[in-house]
Formats: sequence, C-alpha cells, structure tokens
Amino acid sequence: MKVLTTQASSHLSLELARSLSSSHAIRLTDRIEVSTDLEFVRSDLDHGASTNELVRGMDAIVHSGDVDPAASVSDQLDYQMRCTYNLLWAAAEEGVQRFVYLSSLRLMEGYDPALAVTERWRPLPTPDVPVLCYHLGEMVCREFARERKINVLILRLGEITAESAAGSPVSPSALYMDDAVDAVEKALDAEHSGWLDIYHIQSAVPNGRYLTGQPWWSADDVSPPLSLGYEPRARN
Amino acid sequence: MNVLILGANGELGPHVVRALEGRHRLRLSDINELETRHEYLKVDASDIDQVIAAADGMDVIINLSVLRKDRRLAFDVNARGCYNMMVAAVEHGIDRVINTGPFYVVAGPTYERFDHMIGPDVPHQPGTYLYALTKSLGQEICRVFTDSHDIHVLDLLFYMFLDAETHTVESGSPIANIGHDLVPYTVSWGDAADAFGCALDVELDSLPSRSEVFFVFPDLPHQKFSNEKTRRILGWEPKDKLDQFWKKAKS
Repeated sequence: MKVLTTQASSHLSLELARSLSSSHAIRLTDRIEVSTDLEFVRSDLDHGASTNELVRGMDAIVHSGDVDPAASVSDQLDYQMRCTYNLLWAAAEEGVQRFVYLSSLRLMEGYDPALAVTERWRPLPTPDVPVLCYHLGEMVCREFARERKINVLILRLGEITAESAAGSPVSPSALYMDDAVDAVEKALDAEHSGWLDIYHIQSAVPNGRYLTGQPWWSADDVSPPLSLGYEPRARN
Repeated sequence: MNVLILGANGELGPHVVRALEGRHRLRLSDINELETRHEYLKVDASDIDQVIAAADGMDVIINLSVLRKDRRLAFDVNARGCYNMMVAAVEHGIDRVINTGPFYVVAGPTYERFDHMIGPDVPHQPGTYLYALTKSLGQEICRVFTDSHDIHVLDLLFYMFLDAETHTVESGSPIANIGHDLVPYTVSWGDAADAFGCALDVELDSLPSRSEVFFVFPDLPHQKFSNEKTRRILGWEPKDKLDQFWKKAKS
C-alpha cells in the first residue's frame, strides 16, 4: 500500500513511517525540510496543484494532528484547519481511499477518570491550543466523511511514551510506540463503516484510563459490530 | 455599552450601526478604510494583536467580519478570527460576544435538502463548503471558550437579505420575486439589524447557556426553518413579513 504520512518532523510520524515502511511504500511530507532515508516531499499543504501532486497515487494518508509547539498559535490553528482541509480536498479529488487522522485522547480528559469513556462520548475540548487543534482537525475530517468524499478513520492516541519509561510510573493514558504502530497498521487495513470511524488507542498500563478495542455497534440493527482489531501488547 | 464591531464596513455593518447608534458607544473596525462619525480603527480580524488592542475598554464585541471564497482568507477571518476575538474577550473581561454567520453554519445540505422545521440547536452539519465550514469552525471555537470562561456568545445566523420596499419584480432577483416566492431564509436589512439590539439588551442570566445560536428571519410559510427561539428568547419581532413575495400576485 502507498501511504503518505504528514508532519515528518515529528517524532511520532517519523517513528510510524520507519515501522510502516517494512510493509508499505511510505512518502513523508512536512512544511520544513526533513532528513530521512524514506521518500520525502516538502509541501506547504496549500490550496493548489502541488498538494494534488503530493497525494496522487497514494492509497492512504496518515495525517497527524500534532502541532509544532514552536509555531505561533495562528500557525498551529491554520495547519490543523486549513491545511487539513486542503489535504482532504486533494485526497478526495485524487481518489485516495482512506484518510487516517491521528487525534488525541486529551479531548476526553474532561471526564472523571472513573467513567467508562468510549468513542461514543462527546469530546470535551478546551481552549488550550494543542487540544483545540485536535478538535478542530477532527471537525474538518468529520464533514468530509459526512459527505462521503473519503473514508475517514480517527485514532485518538494516548500519551506517546518511551519504552524506557516502562516500569516507572507512567500516564494512565500512556501509549507505547509499538502499540501506536500496530493501531495505525490496523487502521490502514481495517474494514470501514463507510461513514466516520473513531477509535481510542492506548497501551495496557496500570490504571489504564480509557477503554480500547470495543466494537462499534450501530443503531440500525443491520450493520454488524465494527472493530479495529487493536489489542495493546501485554506488558509486565 | 461600549461596543466594538469587527467587519463594520461589510454589507450588514451600516445597517447595524444605524440600529445601535444613539443607544451605545460604537467603535467600528474593518480591514478597509471607513468614513464614519464614530470611532474607527483599521483592524485585520486575522491579526490577534490588532483584535486584542481594538477590544480594549469595550463591553461587547460584535463580529460581522466575513470572507467567503479565498481558502486562506476564509480560514484566517472566519475561523481564526473567532479565536482572536475570544482571546481578546478573555483578555479584557468582555462577557458578551455577538457572532454572525449563515444558517448553514448549523444546517448544511444534509439538513437543508432533506428536512423542515430545522431549529438552531441541532448538532452542526456544515458540510465541506468553504464558507459554511470555516464559519462553523469559528462558532465552535467560540463555544469551546464559553465552556472555560464566563463569556456569553450569541450567534446570529442569517442568509438572504433584502430591502422590502426597493426589492422589485424588475430586479430579476434569484432570491425573491414578488408573487413568485423567496428563499425560505430571508430577512429585511432593517429587521436583521434590529436583532443586534435585542442581543445587546437580553439579560445574560436569562440565556439557557453561555453559547446560544439564533436563526434570524421572519415568520415564513415554508416551515423550512424555525425562528421560534429567536422570538422567544431575544424578544425579536420582525417588522417586514415579506408576504408580497410568498403570496401570488392578484390577477
């Protein structure tokens, strides 16, 4: 599968791309130059032919909702709204089949940790810019899915945590990189509802805050339950 | 009240100014030059520093700024402009913001093409149309701020405007022609402007929440949309029924 991955300069995207490259043809992109052994195309994700060329021939796009903390607030908001919109339009026009948006479980932090929060619960964004950006990015994706312009899967990822941190106290929403890679791999192949599919992704950690791997059940009584098939790796 | 109007030199701006002047102290702002007897500041709504500076000393912000076609400008003004406005409101302790947009901020094609009696409190489905989605993102940014700050946002949604006296059959208008119906979300300029006075007068404690959306148009027989909430909560009473458009001309 040919997969375009955005935000190549971020640790998450680069690690994902390295892992996915063993089974997929990866093209990385970013607004700044990034040194990598993988194919890289610099792009501003503007409205224009260059963004269409960037996505042409891709089977799927993995678009990160991470924002560059060094960028201005205006640039962060612009990237997650306008650039996501441009990317989705170009993908729809070029016939890309699948769009995987990497959002964050931070959208659900407003709930009491004792509650069994799943993908069916309403996000509780705050004006904190990174959190707001995830929410607005999801909103752009949602409208493209609603109009069935492209198949969209949203993965709300836990707090990316280094493996070396295992054994020491970690966030109850920690997500180790191997589990993140596994979830994205599955998102590239999973059966899709044809609407909008949202999945919560975190690792198996003590006092894990969010439930994962639960099947979506649709109220139409016709569609079978849908699952990503993600199972976090058991850790000692 | 001291009222800052962003985008005061657009199509709706002069009508709103006429409706409010004499009752409130107005500070007008726009990205374009504006000749006015009111205080005027040249402000780019997409520039956060300019918006914060413009809001200094104000009690209310009214946002009439809008860009419809250019992708970058539409996101800059319609979406990020709302972020800038809400940061300015927080910075200056402003507790009342009146935001604006088209009805499809809420009810895009997935509602409008299928349903009737559409109210303003349905989950937003703007669709991917640039103007609708960018304005909807802006409205959502406002709502998120009201969850965390003691700011009330009243979102007044419009669509088609006309002057009931000068809008004649000879105009060949695609939105309304006498005896031949009109777009079922149309309001006169004057009535639209009066809604801002109502939004300034309403007691904030009487609002159901800190983020409320209102559909602003008169009673129209199509029953495509509902203005019941606007009349009930804001006490807005339109003067122009526009019935010359939706009643057949006498032969």
